[in-house]
Order: sequence, then C-alpha cells, then structure tokens
Amino acid sequence: MKLPIVIVASLAVLWPWHPSRVAAEQPATAGTSNRPAQAEASPDDINGEQMFATTCGFCHQNGGRSAGRGPKLSKSERSDEYIIERIKKGKAGAMPAFGAVFSDGQIIAILAYIRGLDD
Amino acid sequence: MAYYGRHLGGGIALAVAALLMASPVHAQDAAALNAEAAQNDWPTHHGTYKSYHYSGLDQINPGNIKNLEIAWMHFPERATRGLQSTPLAVDGVLYYSGSYSRVYALDGATGKTIWAYAPELDEELVAKQTHSPYNRGIAIGQGNLYVGTVDGRLIALNLKTGKPVWDTKLLDSKKMTVGFTGAPLVVKDMVIIGAQGGEWPGRGPIFGVDGKTGQKKWEFFTVAGTEEAMATWGNDSWRTGGGGGWMPGAYDPETNTVWWGTANPAPLYDWSGADWKKSGPRPGDNLYTTSVIALDPDTGKLKFYHQELPHDAWDFDSAVGEFVMIDRGGKKLVVHANKSGYIFVYDRSNAKVENVWPLVKNINFVKSIDPKTGELIGRRDLSEGKAETPLCPAIAGGISWNSGAYSPKTGLYYRIGQEWCQELTVEKTTPILEPMAQLNIGAQFKLVAPPDGPARGHLSARDPVSGEKKWEVTYKAPPLASVLATAGNLVFVPDAEGVVHAYEADSGKEVWSRNNGMGHNAGIISYMAGGKQYIAVPAGWGSLVADEFVALFGEPYKSMPKNTGALIVYTLRQ
Repeated sequence: MKLPIVIVASLAVLWPWHPSRVAAEQPATAGTSNRPAQAEASPDDINGEQMFATTCGFCHQNGGRSAGRGPKLSKSERSDEYIIERIKKGKAGAMPAFGAVFSDGQIIAILAYIRGLDD
Repeated sequence: MAYYGRHLGGGIALAVAALLMASPVHAQDAAALNAEAAQNDWPTHHGTYKSYHYSGLDQINPGNIKNLEIAWMHFPERATRGLQSTPLAVDGVLYYSGSYSRVYALDGATGKTIWAYAPELDEELVAKQTHSPYNRGIAIGQGNLYVGTVDGRLIALNLKTGKPVWDTKLLDSKKMTVGFTGAPLVVKDMVIIGAQGGEWPGRGPIFGVDGKTGQKKWEFFTVAGTEEAMATWGNDSWRTGGGGGWMPGAYDPETNTVWWGTANPAPLYDWSGADWKKSGPRPGDNLYTTSVIALDPDTGKLKFYHQELPHDAWDFDSAVGEFVMIDRGGKKLVVHANKSGYIFVYDRSNAKVENVWPLVKNINFVKSIDPKTGELIGRRDLSEGKAETPLCPAIAGGISWNSGAYSPKTGLYYRIGQEWCQELTVEKTTPILEPMAQLNIGAQFKLVAPPDGPARGHLSARDPVSGEKKWEVTYKAPPLASVLATAGNLVFVPDAEGVVHAYEADSGKEVWSRNNGMGHNAGIISYMAGGKQYIAVPAGWGSLVADEFVALFGEPYKSMPKNTGALIVYTLRQ
C-alpha cells in the first residue's frame, strides 16, 4: 500500500504532538544516545529536507533527484513501506540502517520530502 | 640457543639468547623499514617509511614483461565493497586483509593458505555504518600482525599462527558510529592507528598502542587536541568537529617524528560564506582538521603541524595522501598530496611549506595556493543556497585515498589525478552538539563533468618538488588503486575497469596489460619468494568513490559486482 502524499505530509506535520516524539526529546541516556540532535530541537522542527541534506544526500545526490552513490529517489515507484523499511534496515554494503538513529516521525518526514521531490 | 641453554643458568641464558636472536632481526627490520626501496619484502603499508610505494626488485622489466602471467589467485570470504587493502609481504609470506577485517597469510610462491583469521564483529553496528565494512590494510611488527576493526578495536595476531595475542577496544563505536578501516603503522614498540571521522561528529582520535601488550599509551585528538586548537572552534563546535586520520601516515626516524594526515571537519559544507571565522556551524580555522601533523611516536605529543586548508569547507581531507620523504639540494623534504588536488612540499624538520603545486586542472575552490607560504588565495566560501557554478574538484577529490609512487631511479613521482566537479546547494542544518550515529553533510550535490571536457582521470609522472610534468596517461574513468613503481623501470596502474597496466617508468610507454575482470580500489605491491619476483594486485570494486562511477560513466560499472574480490598474483613465466 502506498500512503497518499497528503497523508504522509499530514503525519509529518502532526508528528510533533505524537507521544513517541516526546520520548525522543528526553535527555539522551545510554540506550538512546544515538538520537540525532534534530530530535532534541523544538517540537515543530522535523524538517525532512534538512534531515536529508544532513545525512541522506551523501549518497542520494542532488537532494535525491539524481543517482549517485545511491539511487535516484524522486518519482520512485517503490512503495512507502519499502522506503521506510529500507531506511530502517539499510542494505548490507550499500546503505546504513537508520532504524535506531531516526525516530519514526523523522523517517516519515524524510519520506514526505522524497515524495514531494520534482525531477 | 640450545648451546647457551645447556651451559648458562635459566634466566641469564634466556636473556642472552633473546639478545643474540632479537638484535640482528630488529636491526634488519629497521634497515628495511628505513630504506628507500622495498626489497624482498613489503613490510609496511607504504612500502617503507619513506612511502615511495617503490620496489627495488628488477627481475621483471620492459624486456621480459610480455612473459608476466598469473601465478596464483586467492578469493577472500565476504568481500563486501570489494577489496580495498594493501597487502604486506615478509620472508616469502603474503599477508592481506579483506572486508570485516578478515586476514589471510599465504605462501608467497604458491598462494597456499598458512592461516586465516576472521574476527567476530558487532554486526548490528556494522549495519549502521556508511563507510564499512571494508579494511584498507594491516601492519607487522614485534612478531605480530595488527588489524583495526570497524567496531573500534585494534587486534594483534601472532604472525606465525594467526592466533589472537590481544584485542583492545579503543573507540566507543556504538556511540560514534566510526571505527578503524585504515592500516596501522608500527614505529618501534608502538602501533599507531587513526580513527575514521570527517562527516561523523566526534573528535577524530589517533592512538598509540603498545605492540606487545595492547595497552593504550596515548590518544591525540585531531579535533581540538590542544588548547590552541580548541580556540579555533567557535560555539563549542569542537565537540562534534569530525577530523580523524583514516589512512596511515609515515615515520621519519632521523627526527623520531610520525607524520599523519587528518580528515575534514563536520559538517562538510558550511553556510557561513565569507564570515566563516565568526558564524556558521563551526566558526574558526578548526584545528587540526585537514592538516598534516607531526607527532612524537613515544608520547603522542604534537611537535608541529601545517593546516593545508584552514576551515575546510569542501571536504578536501589531508587524511589521504602518502608522505614521500626525499632529500633534495641539501634539504630534507616530505611531499604530501591533499584531496583538493594540490601537492604540498614541506621541510621535514618543521612542516614549513617549500612548495605547493596543482596535480589536476579543474580547481576552483581557491584561485590558487601561495607556493611559498601555503596560504589559500581567493577562497570560495559558499553561502546557503545553490552555488552559481559547479565546485571543482568534486567531493570525490582531485586525488583519492590510495597512494602514488616515487622512483628514486627516475626521480619521478607517479600520481593519479581526477577531473570532475559537482553542482552544489548548501543547506543550513541544525547544529549538532553531541556525538551521534549520523552523518553531518550539510548540502545537496551532484557530480558533473568539469568545464574542460568529460570527467576523467590521469596518471602523470612529475618532479615531486616542482611538479614539472614529464609524461601523462589519460583514462576514461579515474583509476582508484595505488600505483607501484619498480627498479625494473616499470610503473603499474590497476585501473577502474579491471585492467592492470604497466608503463616504462621513464617514458610512459605502455608495455603490458592484463584484465583482472573487476575494478581495482586497493594497493598493489611487489615482493620476492623463492628467488622470484611477484606482483600482487587485489581486485574487487566497491568503495564510496567507486560508487559514483555508475552515474558518471555507466557500464561496466553499472553491472560490476561490489561484493566480490580476488587477490591476483603475477610472476614471469618460466
């Protein structure tokens, strides 16, 4: 199933008030020290484009619009579930697993950014 | 030994025997390590401490190279991202590492396995890493072989048996994401190894470890390693500055100095533009990133340094590049290649700049670099938003992380250069204040052809001090492997498509080539076993620079596997 862009975008907008988002903003402990700084910023600060430029753009070039080290992502025919799963679990030797690094809300924000890309 | 054991008391006998046995061996090792040419052995990553990647062997030469054929091959397990390491050879045994820090000891004449070692790694951590699970080399000393791991350990193996001697955890890789991929360097009793860093927030340490015990003796932070350096990181940005020293340096025994190159600061790209000294994510010069540093190997104390690119805003590390130590006109010099495509020549006693010259044609991140002072002239400090014209060279650099070669016979330095640029949009990102398992890039970019033609690579033979060019060969795609020069008047270049080329060192005339069937991004060496000269070439494609080739060059890279590799060893047919 593919989430409509509107729903994905809404999730990204609503995310700051999601309960697990609050957990992500707690001070880092041994178990959560991998949380990125973005998760500790202000609640309305999940900016998919900014997150993409911080981390994902190293391989998915031109903001995800061009193939580089990683594949082109704009207009991808992959399902939302596939992309979310790939972000979380990565691919051995090709892409790191970000499931323990990004919160679900951050991953949804990145997905919304990808879905909003023009070529 | 048996004689003394029978006639002297236990402890004294052992001590005397140890002296008699160890001293000549130690002296021989030191002489081999300090020589200009690697002879029968290839005892350290860069050939010898002088970093020439030059073999003094001359059995193979332009007159007989037509008879150079494959002697044997070895296929490593789990060659994820191919093979990226430089083998070593000692006493007719070849040692090399593959991905996941797997190590093999092979009979140098036959390829027969003597021992193999596979460490148990934190696979969950490996899955989170970007620059992983490859390994780029090993070191040998004190009867041990040393290898770093991507989960933050340095391991010593018994050279004869491959059994672990010690296993020391140096980095909290779970927190920092980074570990060790570069080869260690053995200096006297110390094993020195630098951590990954650069785009990962951290302080990029280099470690000195006791080779016999595995005990950490010192740690030097390439980010704010001194009070002076800390003052060059505004807003406490030193806490997540990046840095690191992810390729091995070299050692100058005359001054007891280790030379090491350091990586870029994080984020790679900075939106502060010309105001970088006061604003942006890391205001200031950001010492000691993108620098060459001179350390005391016994204490880890900084002796002196030169920051090649103050406030590097382009990801042009100094961590790449060998340290070619040459004496010229009464001066003791060291030549070091920076990722930007500029070659720096220093006085070995103090890192004072003696010359700077460009290896590549397409450079616009600065207008020039003052050859007398090293000062950057006409810096191109980008602000937030899309750069009006592409930045040259691209993030993959004017030079890559593998090494060039220098022949004392021809007096020429053989170095691969890369011509490419990138479109770039700098993004203002949220400042990162604590180390974390995430890259810190700060831009969108896309590699493109340079203004003067297609993206390409070249090997040029130059005077290492002046940069004067004697000959050049151009490649459709940049070769990414190290270069080997030999006393047989040969230069070997393993290329990206899979072909190994041999050129006459003095003329550049191609005299031999063979297709290994997959791209090269590792180190090529030569050694002697059973009275015969061998050339060992690891083949196997898949580095982060190699990953760029699909979009730029299409086939054969699009279909080239990135999870396989082979060590291919050549010798003269009888």
